This record gives sequence, C-alpha cells and structure tokens, in this order.
Amino acid sequence: MDNRQATLELGTKPVGRLLWQYALPAIVAMTASSLYNIIDRAFIGQVVGPEAIAGLGITFPFMNLSAAFGAAVGVGASTCISVKLGQKDYETAEHLLGNTVTLNLIIGFLFMVVCLIFLDPILRFFGASDVTLPYARQFMVVILLGNMVTHMYFGMNAVLRAAGKPRHAMYATLFTVGMNILLVIAFVWWFRWGIRGAALATISSQSMALCWQMWLFSDKKELLHLKRGIYKLKADLVRNIIGIGISPFLMNVTSCIIVIFMNNQFVRYGGDMAVGAYSIANSMAMVFFMFVMGVNQGMQPIVGYNYGAEKYPRMLRCLWLAIASATSILLVGWGLAMLFPNQIARIFTTDPLLLELSAHGIRIDMLVFFIVGSQAVITNFFQCIGKVKISIFLSLSRQLLMLLPLAYVLPMFWQLDGVWYSMPASDFGSFAMTWPLLWWYLRKFNKK
Amino acid sequence: MNDTHIIINLGRQLGSGGHDIGRMLALDFKAQYYDRAILSRAAKESGLSERMFEQHDEHKSFLRSFLHLPGGVANSGYQQSGGFSQDALFKFQSDAILRAADEGNCVFVGRCADYILRNRVDTVNIFITANMDFRVSQVMAKQGFTDRDEALRFIEQGESQRAEYYKYYTGKKWGQAENYDLCIDSSVLGLMETEKLISQFVRKRFGLS
Repeated sequence: MDNRQATLELGTKPVGRLLWQYALPAIVAMTASSLYNIIDRAFIGQVVGPEAIAGLGITFPFMNLSAAFGAAVGVGASTCISVKLGQKDYETAEHLLGNTVTLNLIIGFLFMVVCLIFLDPILRFFGASDVTLPYARQFMVVILLGNMVTHMYFGMNAVLRAAGKPRHAMYATLFTVGMNILLVIAFVWWFRWGIRGAALATISSQSMALCWQMWLFSDKKELLHLKRGIYKLKADLVRNIIGIGISPFLMNVTSCIIVIFMNNQFVRYGGDMAVGAYSIANSMAMVFFMFVMGVNQGMQPIVGYNYGAEKYPRMLRCLWLAIASATSILLVGWGLAMLFPNQIARIFTTDPLLLELSAHGIRIDMLVFFIVGSQAVITNFFQCIGKVKISIFLSLSRQLLMLLPLAYVLPMFWQLDGVWYSMPASDFGSFAMTWPLLWWYLRKFNKK
Repeated sequence: MNDTHIIINLGRQLGSGGHDIGRMLALDFKAQYYDRAILSRAAKESGLSERMFEQHDEHKSFLRSFLHLPGGVANSGYQQSGGFSQDALFKFQSDAILRAADEGNCVFVGRCADYILRNRVDTVNIFITANMDFRVSQVMAKQGFTDRDEALRFIEQGESQRAEYYKYYTGKKWGQAENYDLCIDSSVLGLMETEKLISQFVRKRFGLS
C-alpha cells in the first residue's frame, strides 16, 4: 500500500517539492562521484605531474568501456529484480541476484584478461604517446586487476536500489567517494606511490564498499539474500538482463568512442598537454553537468506519471522547473569558468604550459555551457513520455552527428582551437535542434 | 489470502473464442468477468489514464525497453526507484488483478493472471486453442477483415507479442500445456459445447456437483 501511496502522490503533491524529493538523492550521489574525480585528478596533477594527468586522460575511454559492461548487467538486473519483487516472486528474484554475481564475475574477468593482454596497443589507439603511455599503463594495470571488484560493486549497488534500499546504495556511493579521497591523500601525497596509488585507492575503497554490500546481502533475514544454488546461469534470466542492459551499454560505448576520438584529435593538434587540458576542462564541466543528470533522474517518475495520468499542466510545470534549475546551476558553472579559468586550472596543476592551455580551453569548452541544461532536460523529457526515438535521436545528434564531424573539420582551419571550438559549436547546434522539436511537440498539448 | 473463491484464468489463442467462453463461464459461476476491464480498473486505482494501459496491453515492444535507460550516465548506473515504465504499469495491473480476486469469483482472460495469482489455492488455469481456419474466420468476423491473409497476419503478429509479453513477465512459455490445468481446442466441439465441458471440469475441480 505504501508504494501505491507514493505513486499516487506523483499526481497530487506540489511539483516543486516532488522534484526536489526525487532529484536530491541522485544529485548527491552523482555530484559526489564527480567531485571525487576532481580531487583524484587534482592530486595526480599536483603531486605526480602534468604528464600524469595527460596519461590519466588517455585512460578515460577504458573507464567508460568498463562502466558500459557494468551498467549492462547492473541496470538489466536491477530492472528485472524489481519486477519480480513487485510480484513477490522471491525465488526468481534471488536467482536473478545470483546470476548477476556470476555474470559480473565472468564479464569482469574476461574484460580484465583481454585488456591486460592488449593493453599497450589499446592505449596507443586511445591516443597515448611515448611520454603518456607509462602513466596510462601503470594506472590501468591496477585498475584492470581490480576490474572484477569494480563490476561487482556497481552491479550490487544497482541491485540494492532495486531491492528497495536506495539509501544503502547512496551510503555505499558516498562511502567510496570519501574513502577514495582519504586513500588518495595517503597513497599519492604521503607515500608518493604515484599514479598507481590513485588507482589503488579507487580499487581499495570499492573493495571495502563491496564487502559491506555482500554483508548486507548475506543477511538471511532479508527477502533477497545470497545462498547456494542461485549462481548457475539461466538462459532466459540472462537474456532478460542483457536485453534491458543493452541500451545503457550502447550509450556508454558511444561516449567511449567520442572520448577516444577527441583525445586523438587533441594529441594530433596540441600534443600530450592538450589531452591533459581537455581532461581538466572536462572534469570541471562534469561537476556541474552531474547536477543536471540528477535533476533529470528526479523528473523521470514525475513527468512519466503525470503524462500517463493525463495531468499535462503538472507535467509541463515539472519540465519548466527542471529546465530552470538545470540552467541556473550551469549558469553558475559558466560564470566561474569565464571569470576564473586560471584559478580552476590551478587546482589541477602548477605546470605553466598546462595551466595556460587548460585556462584557455576551459573558456572555450564552456563558452555556451548554460544552454546544455535545457538540451539535456528536454531530451530526457522525450524519454520520460515514451517518445524514445526522438530522445535517442537528440542524444545521439549532440555527440555523433555534431561533435564528431565538427571535431574532425574545424581543426583543419583553426588547429587546436578548432578542436576546442567543436564542443561549444555542437552544444549550440543540438540546442538549436532541441527547442523547435519541443515547441512542435508541445503545440499538441496546448490544443488540449 | 482471504476467502477461497472460484478463480478461472483463461489463456487463449487469438480467435479461439476465449472471450465468449469466458463470458459464459462467468455467467455459470456468478463470477466477475475481466478481460480489458482489468485495464480500466487498474487505471482507476493508479490514477493513470486507461489509454496508457491500452497502449501497453499484452505486448512488449523492443523500443519500449529503452525506457529503462537510466539518464545514460556511465559510472553511476543510478536508477530511480519507483520509476515509471511499462513494468510499473504491469505492477498496477497485477495489483488490480490480485484485489479483484480477493473480492469474489472471477474469470480473467489473459494478462498473465495465471502467474499473478499463482499463490492462490482457488485457481484453475485453462488454455484455449483452435485450428487456424476457425480462428481466421473468427478474427475476420470480429475485426471486420475482408482478406484472409490480413487476418492471418493479425493473428501471427498478435500472438508473437502475447508470447513475448508472457515470457518476459512470467519466465514461462505461453501456451505450453504443462503450465495449465486444461488445454482444449474449441474448434472441435464448438464454443457452446467447449464451454460446457470446461464448466464441468471446473465444477469437479472445486468439488461442486
């Protein structure tokens, strides 16, 4: 009954309060992990050096790819599990849990082995130079050795959420972020273990969180717990998990391809330091963008329900509120980037060349940053109301249709600046495409 | 579980006359008859529009599964609980079925009711088939098709959707004999006689004379 009450509230409670209530946990979790990224990179940049930050930038697509596999299993499993829990079908739900563990171990292991064997060629393909390769390799070896832990950690967190413990999942995220920061300070700054130390900090904190998750799931009093006989893979369970997980997988693979391409363009036109600068500018933008992603997730159930209940004014109000809050936070980020690019870059490095490149890059990268908010929210809006094709088209258009060609063509005329300018240009292009689509679509509602 | 009632879950091939048989059974056993009606009940209880439920009724399309996209963010995998998707609709629908079954005798047509009510002791699960000619003529009459091929396509498409929907939510194969208490071909005896036979079966199952 509780659950039903919560659902009905989606159609009655004031929209502003609902949005806040649903978005806050997501915002906290996402902003926390992007803050952690910043601190991680800041320590690597300050203590290990500017080449290390470039090396780290080269490894991003790897992280994306690993996350892609993790998300495929995690999202698929958690969706299936929550359906089964809704039906009080605990037996199948437990088998899903066991199968998730097995799948994560298998995929995590294969990913580790394949990537370790071909590590150098892959890193070269990702844009590593003779200078950055050692850093990237050192970092990745540790990360890959812990890859099974990473997969399990993300997978279990997704399952925790599905099992009605979103709070525990949030604690796990916050714990890993906090622990990570402490360990990075210890390993990198204190023990001077270099870039390896940063990787080790990531894996250690995830291992600790995983232990806690496993402890939670081994409690026999829980409806969903780990026990013998649930680990053997069942064909139709795996099919359902992968069938759902395939779309987040493809999204992650897309962003992986984008980063590989961008990194290579930066290396080609600006050398290793440009990759470092890109990674600095990116992590700055990410902190603010994660807030928008949080707002997006908060608005999903609200828009979805009110669309389904044909309460269109409430649905639209939620859309405008989300656009307004996303745009305001990005305006703050934009203001900081325009006014204090040097100070921002200073967080990550003291190297004069990297400083100059980053400060210059941040300004261009985030030139029209504030318009990205409405683009992301509107894309998400179409997804919420089931206009999936439009939503997929919009999110792909920003990255594949705009950014890739622009990042290929613009540098031919303006070299390094061309690569930088391709980002605000594609932001603007997709912004200019999104609003007319929304306008065209909303006319239908105004008629009603 | 409260009191025991007589709950009849009817699975049916398209055009096998499942609806008509279901209606007659409902009369026989003084039961509430739910086919699409369960959708409007679910709509009322959830506050969502009936149209929403109709759009998702007994089929699971590939694109819909993209609704599961969680914001598309790489390493968070964050998904809002209480989110909104076809799965949520299914949950409302199954809650409506459970509540209806609590209230009294029911005949449910389709909508995975056999799975949803699997923990009740007072159910009987029946699957109705029919030969293709019979089904085609039924469908042509009901849907107003003039072309046999059109009716054939309609049946094939509808059934593959039903099967996929059933498989996704129950994990079982739709129409497989071992999942039901009784499987019967309605084209052998005709709708009336088939209904009588089923009715007798149900009576015996519940120990009624």
